[in-house]
Amino acid sequence: MSMLEAAGVHVRFGDRVVLESVDLAVAEGEFHGVMGPNGAGKTTFFNVLTGRVKPSRGKIRLGGEDVTGLSPHRIANKGIARSFQIMTLFDEFSARDNVMMGLPEFRARGLDIARAAAGDRRFAEQASDALAAVGLADKGDVRAKDLSYGDRRALEIAVALAQAPRVLCLDEPTSGLGSDGVQRLATLVARLKGKLTIVAIEHDMEFLFSLADRISVIHWGQVVARGTPHELQQNEWVRRSNLGKFA
Amino acid sequence: MAAPLLVLDDIRKVYTRGRIVRRPTFTLQANLSLDEAGIVGVVGPNGAGKTTLFEMMTGSNAPTSGRVLVAGTDIHGVKYRERDRLAIHYHQSYQVRRFRKRVPSAFLAPSPTRTPLVHLFDEPQFNLQDGYIGFMLDFFRKLRNDGRLVILCMHPTAAWHLDILAEIAGRFLFVAGGGVTPMADFGALVADPRCRAYLGPEMTKAADAICPGAVHSST
Repeated sequence: MSMLEAAGVHVRFGDRVVLESVDLAVAEGEFHGVMGPNGAGKTTFFNVLTGRVKPSRGKIRLGGEDVTGLSPHRIANKGIARSFQIMTLFDEFSARDNVMMGLPEFRARGLDIARAAAGDRRFAEQASDALAAVGLADKGDVRAKDLSYGDRRALEIAVALAQAPRVLCLDEPTSGLGSDGVQRLATLVARLKGKLTIVAIEHDMEFLFSLADRISVIHWGQVVARGTPHELQQNEWVRRSNLGKFA
Repeated sequence: MAAPLLVLDDIRKVYTRGRIVRRPTFTLQANLSLDEAGIVGVVGPNGAGKTTLFEMMTGSNAPTSGRVLVAGTDIHGVKYRERDRLAIHYHQSYQVRRFRKRVPSAFLAPSPTRTPLVHLFDEPQFNLQDGYIGFMLDFFRKLRNDGRLVILCMHPTAAWHLDILAEIAGRFLFVAGGGVTPMADFGALVADPRCRAYLGPEMTKAADAICPGAVHSST
C-alpha cells in the first residue's frame, strides 16, 4: 500500500485548467521528486495534498485513509508536514521556540498555558532533537531572523520534522541557497531518506536527480513523465539537454 | 463505427465592426474531419485565425455558423464547465480570452465523456536546455496511444522547432488568410508555397534539409 496517494486530482481556477487528472503513489520511505516548468501546477498540487486547495474531483489518501477536503491542520495532524517555497518562520522567536510551536501536543495545550508549556522539558527536548537532526543543535537560542539563510531553510525542515510526520512535503527546499547550502541540504535529505516518506518539488536538477528514488514531471497540470532518474534520462531529447549531464 | 474524433462541420466565424452597419473585419472558415487518434501540427502566420480556430475547437468561442463535433457531440451544446472533458485547451500563458455565455448552462447537455479526447497545445514553450522537450513529446505520444487527438501549434523560429514538428506530427493544418488547409505530412507542408513564404528563407532551408525532395515530389 502507498503511504501517500493522489487519484485523478482535478483543479480548476475559473476556466483555467490547473490540474488535470493527476495521479501519484508514493511508497513508504520513498523520496519522490516533482519537477516541472513555472506555472505547471506543482505548488497547487502540494496545496491539494496538504488541504489548502480542495480538488474539484479526485482523492487524496494517506496510509490508505481518505483525507480529501480535510482542513490543512487536520491533514497536518494526520501526518503530512510541509515546508513552503517562501519561508514561514516566526522571526522574533528563537529557533527552538519555532520548532516547539510546530509540535502538535504543544499547540494542543492552547495559548493560556503556552508560557508554562515553554518550560516543559519534554517539548524542549523534542525540539532539540529536531534541531540536531538538521544540524542546528547549537543554534536553538538564536532568533530566527538572526540565522543565516541556509540555517533558516534547515529550521523550516526542523519545524516540519518536529511534528513526526509520516510524509514530508518540501516545496523548493534549495531555492535561494548557494552551492554549499545545497550541499548541506543534500546531506540532510540523504540522512532522512528511507526513514521518512518525502515528496519534494525542486528546480535544482542535480539535487533531485542525485537523491530522488522516482521523479514525476508535471506540465500543463498533468504528470507528463514519471520514472527513476535513470529511466527519465534515457530519452533522446533529455540526453541532448542539461539533464543528460547528470547521467 | 465510432464517430470521428474531431469534425469542423463547415464552420465559419465572422468578426464584425460597427453597431448599426456590421462590417465583417475577419472571417475564418474550416471544413474538415480528423477521424482518428494522432498528433496534428498546426502552423501559420500571426493573425491567420489560429487562436480563433482553437477557441472554436475547444468550445470557448462559438462559430457564427457550422458545428464543432468532438466524437460526435457538438461541443458548443455542452455545459460550459464540462467542455474541457471533451476538448482541452492549454493556452499560451498570457492569452486567455473570455466570451459571453449566451445560453444558461442548465439548458445545455452534460459532457458524454470524463476525460478529454482532444488536447490542444497552443505554442508550448520548448527549451533545448532543460530537457522537458523529451518529456513533452513522449506525453503527446502517450495521449495518441491512449486514443486521443493531440493538436500542437508552433511557430518555427529555429531549426530544431522543425525537427520537433517533423518527428512528432503525423499530419498538419496550415492556417492562413482565414482558411485551414489539411496537409498529409511534413513534406506536403514544406512543399506548399504559402508555407514556404511564411517560414522565410532560413527556416525553409532547414525544413528542406529535414525532408529533402519534398518540393520536387509535390510538383
